[in-house]
Amino acid sequence: MSLLQVRDVTRRFGGLVAVDDVSFDVHEGQIKAIIGPNGAGKTTLFNVVTAFDRPDGGTVTFDGVDLTGSRPHRIVSSGIARTFQNTQLFDEMTARENVMAGAHAVTKAGFLATALRLPWTVREEREVAKEAGRLIRLVGLDEWEDVPAADMPHGLRRLLEIARALASRPRMLLLDEPAAGLNTAETTALGEALYRIRDEGATIVIVEHDMGLVMEVSDEIVVLDQGRKIAEGPPRLIQKDPSVIAAYLGEEDVDEL
Amino acid sequence: MGGVELLQFALAGLKNGAIYALVALGFTIVYASTGVINFAQGEFYMLGGMLSVWAYADLGLPLPLAAVVGVMTTAVVGAVFELLAIRPRKDGNPLALIIITVGGSMVLSSSARHLFGPLERALPSFSGTGTVSILGAALEIQSIWILGLTALAVASLWYLYNRTSLGRAMRACAVDRNAARLVGIDTRRVVTVSFLLAAALGALAGLAVTPLTQTAFNVGPSVGIKGFAAAILGGLGNPIAAVAGGLVLGMLESMSIAFISSTYKDAIALIVLLSVLFWRPQGLFGRSGREKV
Amino acid sequence: MRERIDMRLVVAAVLGLTVVAAVAGLPFFTSERYILRVFTFAGVNVIIITGMALLFGYAGQVSLGHAAFFGVGAYASAFVVTQLGWPWIGGVIVAIVLTATGGLLLALPSLRLKGHYLAMATLAFGEIMRVVFTEARTVTGGPDGLSGIPYPSLGPLAFDSASASYWLVWAVAGITLLLAANLVRSRAGRAMRALHGSELGATACGIDITGIKVRVFVISASFAGLAGALYAHVVGFISPSTFSLHVSVLLVAMAVLGGTSSLLGPVIAAVLLTLIPFSDAVIPGLSRSALETIQEWQEDIYGLTIIAVMIFMPGGIGGLLRRIGTGRSAER
Ligand SMILES: Nc1ncnc2c1ncn2[C@@H]1O[C@H](COP(=O)(O)OP(=O)(O)OP(=O)(O)O)[C@@H](O)[C@H]1O
Ligand SMILES: [Mg+2]
Repeated sequence: MSLLQVRDVTRRFGGLVAVDDVSFDVHEGQIKAIIGPNGAGKTTLFNVVTAFDRPDGGTVTFDGVDLTGSRPHRIVSSGIARTFQNTQLFDEMTARENVMAGAHAVTKAGFLATALRLPWTVREEREVAKEAGRLIRLVGLDEWEDVPAADMPHGLRRLLEIARALASRPRMLLLDEPAAGLNTAETTALGEALYRIRDEGATIVIVEHDMGLVMEVSDEIVVLDQGRKIAEGPPRLIQKDPSVIAAYLGEEDVDEL
Repeated sequence: MGGVELLQFALAGLKNGAIYALVALGFTIVYASTGVINFAQGEFYMLGGMLSVWAYADLGLPLPLAAVVGVMTTAVVGAVFELLAIRPRKDGNPLALIIITVGGSMVLSSSARHLFGPLERALPSFSGTGTVSILGAALEIQSIWILGLTALAVASLWYLYNRTSLGRAMRACAVDRNAARLVGIDTRRVVTVSFLLAAALGALAGLAVTPLTQTAFNVGPSVGIKGFAAAILGGLGNPIAAVAGGLVLGMLESMSIAFISSTYKDAIALIVLLSVLFWRPQGLFGRSGREKV
Repeated sequence: MRERIDMRLVVAAVLGLTVVAAVAGLPFFTSERYILRVFTFAGVNVIIITGMALLFGYAGQVSLGHAAFFGVGAYASAFVVTQLGWPWIGGVIVAIVLTATGGLLLALPSLRLKGHYLAMATLAFGEIMRVVFTEARTVTGGPDGLSGIPYPSLGPLAFDSASASYWLVWAVAGITLLLAANLVRSRAGRAMRALHGSELGATACGIDITGIKVRVFVISASFAGLAGALYAHVVGFISPSTFSLHVSVLLVAMAVLGGTSSLLGPVIAAVLLTLIPFSDAVIPGLSRSALETIQEWQEDIYGLTIIAVMIFMPGGIGGLLRRIGTGRSAER
């Protein structure tokens, strides 16, 4: 059975149907890409899957559990972590603290226990810090560990957000345009990081406009256009699909396809 | 309780409600253009009364002229407050701006004490201290002035909003500030004008009440809270709702005095405020919106 | 790098110990009741501001009704001790339980909503309590307040002198500060700072932002309640004006001046602003007329402080200290 099942999901904003009856599956261990022109409904779909938004119809099932109607902060404990198209880092906190905050869902120390500084909370804290250091190295941010997120360059902030998402030990990682604003070298580094993350056992769903990256890393692609799914399949076939090419006509990305 | 007595309470409620409506309008106008609750709104009410008394008693101006001076000066104070304290906070963070208005409220009331002293001050009624009888209930002539001035203010505001380009700009800002800026509306000017108008409305209320209740440097916060409760009760951001909220609140207060007791009269507005916040935060006349991510 | 951190730790430790010694030693330097009183009062404000610092500086929420929680704590403790004959510690517990419950009831509905409903709800709550303090005469003594409230005592230990109550208040302040400091340097504190940074980001980390805010509010309310239970017994007299909107705003001024993501900043701000009307306690030769001028203008000082800090240094004293500590050129 597939890890994530999206079934007949629809989301309307007034008269606009942002996501229109979309269904697809994501299998364990895959890297799956969701592509489509601006306004196709990719982010909205992410928001629905992570319960930041409610669908007007349809269901989202993760590992056999229906997530529709969950509260967004609970989604993390069921094993889904995400990043945002506009990075949502904690600017005043250092890179390490950002990643440590990402471990919130997999740690326990509560208000009373930490106020009293019970020994087990100190131990937990030490482990979280260590794991945060490891994740920061995994995405290649070794030198930025003690730098406030606000002082980091844009491209690296995206990597930091990925490290933060990984801190919750997700089974599935949703990345919304991780390569936006990255230069070529950074994009290559991102691609390598994605493989490393996949090899650690996480399933990845990526929304991305950088077709080079998408074609390179993804096992399967879902193409959205005006809220509707117009194609799904491996990169080779998607590249040749006439309806996909038609959807992208007039878009700058057409050359890259 | 007899019908006449009840009518008496209703008239008092209507008069107080009109005052709350004016103050509530001030809250609503500023909120619509900035997303900020202006805690200094009550101080504009105080200044309206105090500055009119000053112009009348200390400068010796005739009452109508003193009234105009009081309201206009307060309006200018409102605009200057915006320019000096609100505008410099560039990011427009609503919480920061709210805190700034809290500080502004302290400064305004304290300045009034420095300038006009700590004592209560009075203004004569606009046209005699008599009353008229309505179905046996007595209504002070000054109350008729209050109701009339409120009606006039609401009508002018309606005209401004619907018939002038400035009003259209203000409405556009209320719907979506960024979109308004994109279509070329000078949103900063709209914010300044909003504070100016809010101050003028508050001042008008303070001016109109002073002959009945007197005024002092420290009357601002309590009236401010009631006007705020009225704005919330109606539904923050909508002028018509603010007026309705003011009248409903005035009536509720009066009726609670009539049927319960006057001991906790001042708590009624606050309990209304809390109840509305908890159970119907969009107000009686507001629609609930779906939150967006 | 390593050496620099160690040096900083040493400096911080030396400074910290000096401050603790100075605070604890004050009664040995002066026996003047007035000065001890003023600093006792500063200690009470430090307890309240510790909670406010968590709420404002860490969780990014503002309360305009904390003086009311302070008052509820004071009246509750005074009531159970003078009317029911309970020991003082019973009064403290009642004060904390009542204010925590009140804080929960106020925070739950208002923090579910977006925007700044908490500020408004606390404002309304504060004003309701002001009416209650003045009107519920049988419990509160009405506008005249309650007097003759006995000194705090723990079993045989009676804190019945100016220096004893000074020590008691600052010991409690030290404990609350320690608890708060532990809190902010942990998972819970990180969650607070996270939601301040980005609510979306925090939610994506699995942080229940409403739950955290409610908890912080309850803590801050109960710290104010605790401070009330100390204040009533140390001063021996309470009346509604001590717990007015005015005082709530003064507390906001302290929190704002104290700054964000800091405990030390707000503590410094609380002491500074508390001392303003009692400047003669710290400036020996201050003339009577100079003091009166300061008192005459204290409202303006508080108000202008709030405005100036929000415009020119939103990080407050805490932000300033951080900049000195890290040598960062500018705050972002
Ligand atoms: N909260 C909202 N309210 C109203 N309309 C919305 C909202 N969120 C998204 N939309 C609309 O829904 C459509 C889909 O938006 P979405 O952000 O999902 O697109 P996208 O595929 O992520 O685009 P992009 O590549 O630009 O990020 C757009 O037309 C957008 O304007
Ligand atoms: Mg998008």
